[in-house]
Amino acid sequence: MTLELELRGITRRFPGVVANDRIDLDVRKGEIHALMGENGAGKSTLMSILYGLLHPDEGEIWVRGERQHFSSPNDAIAAGLGMVFQSFKLFPSLTVAENVVYGREPTRGRRLARASAERQVTELAQRYGLAVDATARVEDLPVGVLQRVEIVKALYREASVLILDEPTAVLTPQESEALFEVLRALARDGRTIIFITHKLKEVMAMSDRVTVLRDGRAVARFVTAQTSPAEITRAMTGRDVTPRVTPPAQPPGEPVLRCRGLRIEGEHGRPVVDDATFEVRAGEIVGIAGVAGNGQAELIEAITGLRSVAAGTVEIAGRDVAGGSVADRRASGLSYIPEDRHAVGTAGAADTAANLALGHHRRPPLLRRGLLQPQAVKEHASTLIDRFQIKVSGPETRVGTLSGGNLQKVVVAREMSHGAPLLIAEQPTRGVDVGAIEFIHAEVTACRDRGGAVLLVSAELSEILSLSGRILIMFEGRIVAELGAAEADEATLGLLMAGASPEMVSRHGR
Amino acid sequence: MAAEPPAAPGRGGAPGRGARWRGAVGWATGSVPVSIVLALLIGAVAIVIAGKDPLAAYRAMVEGALTGPGLANTIQRAIPIVGLAMGLAIAIRAGVFNLGAEGQMVLGGLAGTVVALEMPGPGLVVLVAACLAAVLAGALWAALSAVLQTGLGVPILITSLLLNYPARYLSSYLVRFPLRDESSSMVATAPVPEDARIAPLIPGTSGLGRSLAESLGRDDVLVLVTRGVNWSILVVLAIVGLAAFVNRRTPGGLESGLAGLNPRFARYGGVDTSRLAVSTMMISGGISGLVGVMLVLGSQYRLIEGALVGTNYAWTGLLVALLAANRPLRVLVVGTFFAALVVGGEAMQRSQDVSAQISQVIQAAVIVLIAIRVRLPLPKRSRQVREPAGTADPAAVSEAETQVGRV
Amino acid sequence: MDWSGLVDGALFASVVRALIPVLLAAMGGLVCDRAGVFNVALEGLMLIGCFAAVAGSYYSGSALVGVLVAVVCATLLAAVLAYGSVSRKADPIVLGVALNIFAVGVTGFLLVALFDVRGVFQSPEIVGLPRVRIPGLADLPGIGPVLFDLSLLGYLALVLVPVVHVLLFRFPLGLRLRGVGERPQAASTLGVNPTAYQYGAVLASGVLCGLAGAQLALGNVVQFAENMTAGRGWIAVVAVMLARANPLGTLAACVLFGFAEAFGFRLQGNGLPAQITDAAPYVVTLIALLIARRHFSRTVATAATG
Repeated sequence: MTLELELRGITRRFPGVVANDRIDLDVRKGEIHALMGENGAGKSTLMSILYGLLHPDEGEIWVRGERQHFSSPNDAIAAGLGMVFQSFKLFPSLTVAENVVYGREPTRGRRLARASAERQVTELAQRYGLAVDATARVEDLPVGVLQRVEIVKALYREASVLILDEPTAVLTPQESEALFEVLRALARDGRTIIFITHKLKEVMAMSDRVTVLRDGRAVARFVTAQTSPAEITRAMTGRDVTPRVTPPAQPPGEPVLRCRGLRIEGEHGRPVVDDATFEVRAGEIVGIAGVAGNGQAELIEAITGLRSVAAGTVEIAGRDVAGGSVADRRASGLSYIPEDRHAVGTAGAADTAANLALGHHRRPPLLRRGLLQPQAVKEHASTLIDRFQIKVSGPETRVGTLSGGNLQKVVVAREMSHGAPLLIAEQPTRGVDVGAIEFIHAEVTACRDRGGAVLLVSAELSEILSLSGRILIMFEGRIVAELGAAEADEATLGLLMAGASPEMVSRHGR
Repeated sequence: MAAEPPAAPGRGGAPGRGARWRGAVGWATGSVPVSIVLALLIGAVAIVIAGKDPLAAYRAMVEGALTGPGLANTIQRAIPIVGLAMGLAIAIRAGVFNLGAEGQMVLGGLAGTVVALEMPGPGLVVLVAACLAAVLAGALWAALSAVLQTGLGVPILITSLLLNYPARYLSSYLVRFPLRDESSSMVATAPVPEDARIAPLIPGTSGLGRSLAESLGRDDVLVLVTRGVNWSILVVLAIVGLAAFVNRRTPGGLESGLAGLNPRFARYGGVDTSRLAVSTMMISGGISGLVGVMLVLGSQYRLIEGALVGTNYAWTGLLVALLAANRPLRVLVVGTFFAALVVGGEAMQRSQDVSAQISQVIQAAVIVLIAIRVRLPLPKRSRQVREPAGTADPAAVSEAETQVGRV
Repeated sequence: MDWSGLVDGALFASVVRALIPVLLAAMGGLVCDRAGVFNVALEGLMLIGCFAAVAGSYYSGSALVGVLVAVVCATLLAAVLAYGSVSRKADPIVLGVALNIFAVGVTGFLLVALFDVRGVFQSPEIVGLPRVRIPGLADLPGIGPVLFDLSLLGYLALVLVPVVHVLLFRFPLGLRLRGVGERPQAASTLGVNPTAYQYGAVLASGVLCGLAGAQLALGNVVQFAENMTAGRGWIAVVAVMLARANPLGTLAACVLFGFAEAFGFRLQGNGLPAQITDAAPYVVTLIALLIARRHFSRTVATAATG
């Protein structure tokens, strides 16, 4: 039996690191093949090579018995490969049909045949149970639908091999299940599925075979039915993982953050968050769970002062700051790890010292007699670099050159070192390597144990579940439920995140 | 997203090395000299097209800018150019693209002239009042652009540019009609009172001036410079020094620098970027206005129709700020260099019959070449080095690269 | 002061003449905006076009040659912008502003070098663009003399508006261009090379600004004056902003500008000082910006206020 896809000895080096080290991978026609590994194991690099976005330094790609040289995605598409990226590659202002046919448009005469495009897209979508409206504008669609658009895009290009990069990262567990149904149907249809993930459960439930990457190497291959989660975990991490959940040492204290009746309006006065009322107490971590786009980002922006509040109050340490500036909130005791460390959390072209100084720069020791003390700024940076083990050559290095995990550590270091009573952590471990995840989790729990109030927003349910003492669930701009750590599990959260009412969930679930 | 390979400690790959390299000697040895040489070559081509000898022309340029009365002239010209460039550099560093220096300067000159002409009182008081009026006029005109951006979302870049025209025409109208001095053959206002003018460092008519001329000779450089250069040089030097100090030693300086590199980061950190934009524009416009009045009270002694616009100082100043990457001391160096190009260009025009606008061509060409980071091909900067940075963190790298263009 | 007869057919004819160069340049800016390149060099490209058109026409004795030379020269300058902003990732604003100043300098320099004059170059040997009356239509009352008695470039400009509209929204080319401008990375994962489209857009703006310059210097007047574009390229930038890069809206914005300029001239004839009326187009443009407020196109918003 010929292999649908085969990689031989793929090697790709970046300065200071070998992202892919002689990786072999073989995928059979019609199978669902999982590619597993922690963040930073080299999965995404491998997929970029496979899709012609990166060129390997060494190694060969074979598709259906033919050696291929992909110089651009065009070549990969021509060879029958289709990719669904983790961050969707869609054009927000274009319609679904336009997104799907982009670059391979049906024409009548030389004009764009819009009706034909829409028909083809609808047909394709229906055949595999992918509910999408071909005429809808992409910017109006929720995340789950966007993923379906991406799949239709690949199918439209007659992909026989479909590669999905962390496809469930943005989905509720129920949506993930629906996605798996679609993938199984595609596999039955003779298409080959490669999906990249770091979630063990999905691998066990979905895949026929699994290849595990670690530190850029393919360290193990299993037939899923003949292996165990423990075995895969060991291959993935190189050790047995003991989940370290440190429960709070003492019960929560006074409320530090208190939101009442918070309303936030988007364009055209439509509420994006409505009537949000909750509090976060000293010494507790409160998690916010929700599918991306249900108002979490706006809620955080409003609490931190980056977005205006239409109604309601935001109290930080007893002071209502709803009408105040970011500076007011920070003065009241806010520290904040934002979701986007590049666009918001740092200035890439500025040096590490300046990035670490912002927010500390109007207080001693950085400021004395109204003047900045360059020596103190430097020492401040060096201290934090040491304490948070940031891998950077020195305070004067531009932070734009740092890796994701180290850049995130710069943000964490700056915000944690305020010793502020309130910490808002938004996707604090997204896209960073395992070591950094552990480090950041330890810092967040340490903050709690020092008596800090922590509000945590994360798309990773496992992160929410392992860190939070209480969990708020947001759906369509409202806080629809609150669960204690004991009563929460992924299934319950998933249902609530998908809009099921708490009563329904308790009737069904338990 | 592609993987983010962890950078080994001590070296962030090529970008880190590049940063250090650029930081230390880079500015003097990187793309700047290459760009200057190429721009001079472009100028030479233009001179050849004009049917003249480029070597002779450039020789005339150097001599005209750096010897005898030319040197005094260069310094005198450097004052407004450095002043305007400093005002613009302050704005651009904070991420505020002020294209309105011309209008701000014109209105400053206008307001200052009106005060100097109309206000009674001792000369020094009038002089100071005229300067304050000029600062205020320039600052308010600039603030208009800033408020339009922060309040209504119309970019400063566009409004500040468009506001140049009403300012220019308003001043032109006033000089032609209500303020016109009919006794003069020039289209200009009446001359400002002598005691309200900005004096040369050592006037030729003063005792010290005369004895200096007698002991050193009338054509000695020191005599020419002290006679030709007025006290506004100290004002401009003070502005440059102050800007350098503010950037380095004040919280506001740190904040405006970060706001220029990433405004969202600054807002997130608690900086009120709207207020920053308004205050920065006011400082920037105020400096432009001050330069305007210093030109009137220091060299022309009356507001002449079109004189402030015709010098092109505002645009030269913008190019200086861009080439100097908004650093105050570099503004001083580059501004003097560009002033020398202007003065040398005029000397070349006199002796070689080559149009002085060649200096503008050379200046603009330098900026274009630097913006596209022309450099000599270095053996080790291959595709290998650039590409992974792009995959490791495309957002960060592209941002960093854009900033290199703008800082 | 005689206020009668301020608005008549002749006024509308001069509105159309005033707007055509701006419209041509604005179409260039629009295409760049759609491709994700904020082109503020329109002013300089147009000025180069003016000079090249006059020089070409003067030396060859043919207006057509003048137009071709204008197109070639403006496109060459646009190529610098394309290389810098697309291939070298230079800040398009810095580059555009520098190119504008370069254009002022180089045209002023060559004015002296080639024609040995300063300020304004006029000569009977510069052949202007002929107006082409369309028989029949030009005699229609009202709109006839306004719309059907233009230079060929004038007709081209007006026809270009619907053409660009259809290309953008009805052809694969336009779809791809819009996609490239919005998410270049997404386009490249689908095998559409953003670089090629962005180069194409910037070079197209060079061609159009060359035509705009030719119209200004061989059509509206027959001469070259230093810095004769006088902010028209910037007004074109604003027109694209106001219309959020929609072709029909851009036309409307250009009409507004043309009206301000033509009406200003008219008022000048009625005794208002030239300095006041000369400022009218800029003031009108500013006011339009204030009324339109935040509804600007994406590239402008991010490039200029970000």
